[in-house]
Amino acid sequence: MSVLKIENVSYVYGPKTPFEVTALKDVNIQINENRITGIIGHTGSGKSTLVQMFNGLIRPTSGRILLDGEDIWEKPKEIGKVRFRVGLVMQYPEYQLFEETVRKDIAYGPSNMGLDEAQIQERVLRAIEFVGLEKSMLDKSPFDLSGGQKRRAAIAGVMAMEPEILVLDEPAAGLDPAGRSSIFKGIVRYAKERGASVIIVSHSMEDMARYCDDLIVMNNGELFMAGDKNEIFSKGEELKSIGLDVPQITEFVLELEKYGIYLGRDIYTVEAAYNALLKLFGGDIV
Amino acid sequence: MAFIEVKNLSYAYGGEGDSPVYALNNLSFEIEKGEYVAILGHNGSGKSTFAKLLTMVIDDYDYLSGNIYVDGVDILSEDISEDEIFELRKRVGMVFQNPDNQLVATVVEEDVAFGPENLGIERSEIRRRVDEALQTVGMTKYAKHEPHRLSGGQKQRVAIAGIIAMMPECMIFDESTAMLDPMGRREVISTVEKLNRESGITTINITHYMDEAARADRIIVFNNGSVILKGTPKEVFAQSEIMRAAGLDLPQCIDLAEKLKKNGVALKGDITNPYQCAEAVAAALKDK
Repeated sequence: MSVLKIENVSYVYGPKTPFEVTALKDVNIQINENRITGIIGHTGSGKSTLVQMFNGLIRPTSGRILLDGEDIWEKPKEIGKVRFRVGLVMQYPEYQLFEETVRKDIAYGPSNMGLDEAQIQERVLRAIEFVGLEKSMLDKSPFDLSGGQKRRAAIAGVMAMEPEILVLDEPAAGLDPAGRSSIFKGIVRYAKERGASVIIVSHSMEDMARYCDDLIVMNNGELFMAGDKNEIFSKGEELKSIGLDVPQITEFVLELEKYGIYLGRDIYTVEAAYNALLKLFGGDIV
Repeated sequence: MAFIEVKNLSYAYGGEGDSPVYALNNLSFEIEKGEYVAILGHNGSGKSTFAKLLTMVIDDYDYLSGNIYVDGVDILSEDISEDEIFELRKRVGMVFQNPDNQLVATVVEEDVAFGPENLGIERSEIRRRVDEALQTVGMTKYAKHEPHRLSGGQKQRVAIAGIIAMMPECMIFDESTAMLDPMGRREVISTVEKLNRESGITTINITHYMDEAARADRIIVFNNGSVILKGTPKEVFAQSEIMRAAGLDLPQCIDLAEKLKKNGVALKGDITNPYQCAEAVAAALKDK
């Protein structure tokens, strides 16, 4: 259980060159423990730069990243330790699979942590359980897997390090609806069973509404808003003004308010809307 | 005959000596000229393989049977000449998933000109087509920009401009919005729909987004290389059980409306988007 805090962080790509771009401007964020936090924002809003700071892949130009109150860049030589505690799954992680077998690929992270073989294998098995890969896949070459299976294997590789904070950049991009929901459910189970905090970057407002507790909204390198998802998604107009959206069901709930019908702003899923409407229709339901 | 006619098409990957892995199994359907069709299907259901055969990107025909006719020409026939292939590639254009993989030039307008230049079109005509294409996708003011500095949605619109500058009759979008943010998706989809409505370009949108599919004239659902459902969005999304069994979903509002109807709530009219859904629910509550 760890707390991640981003304090006055700025980041400039190519400083003092003609290509200087400020990717993050004085960002302050607190990631709450034991919560699933979603990060949304348009392309180029700074989301990926931000998540690469969480585990020290890039170092802020100014400001601090605090893990349990300690600046992760206090001792730059020990930054590797931070990467075991904060696991980052990058976009399209399947392009990073490289080992001969799925088992070896998933074991790569934990085997760099100084664990013994039995512990490593235990972790590999726990990780494939979360992502829903069959044991029979373990001895195959990762390159013989389907796209969806490769994605799962790559996510399992980071989960096998059992990080306290798991960060995923677009974990379900390009997957079909069944694949999306199975990956997200695995991530939620990881969070619950390991007592970990999870941070997810995604463009799908529906997925964010369904699986996250808190939301961070980025715009042009700045923090636009942050808070509980109910609070954020009730601000549909503001989200649209910065190129984002609300889930379809939220759009429906907001539209219904124009007819004087109020379901509640904490409704984003089909199930919740259905239950709320059933109450309104009351006696008419057979 | 329909503009595109797919007849008993089967296709497997794998060369000599490998055991074939069939991606398409006896696929048959038709697409009319000017239609806007969405193709849905789980990962590995054969959607992209079909798109690659239709655009003749795949030319390894070791395990191929059946036909694809485009405007009456069997494009998979062994007798097809180089000239005919060249002609067909002009008529059917494709936009891929990753915008970074399909932009080739360092200036937007040069990128758009790349296709028509390769078709050997006269310079003044290329100029006219490039300007018109950029205007159609709303990127005129970026004509002199560097493509890699654009947003994802803008890049995809440049890629679309590059295709329409070749003046195709049919365009295939293979998950062209999968990597885009919500604004980028809206930009691309409205461009696609404008091309279909105003220029009559036959449009095939391969997508995982159910709300995009709900906007098409017709939906074709692939499952394990075959067609399991086809019809209007209303007809297809009414088959929620078949859709879910195929690893797919319903747009949230259609799903909600279906659930309410099953419980005896009388909802009137077509429901394919949140606004229609809210209107129908409000009306039903009023009648109660």
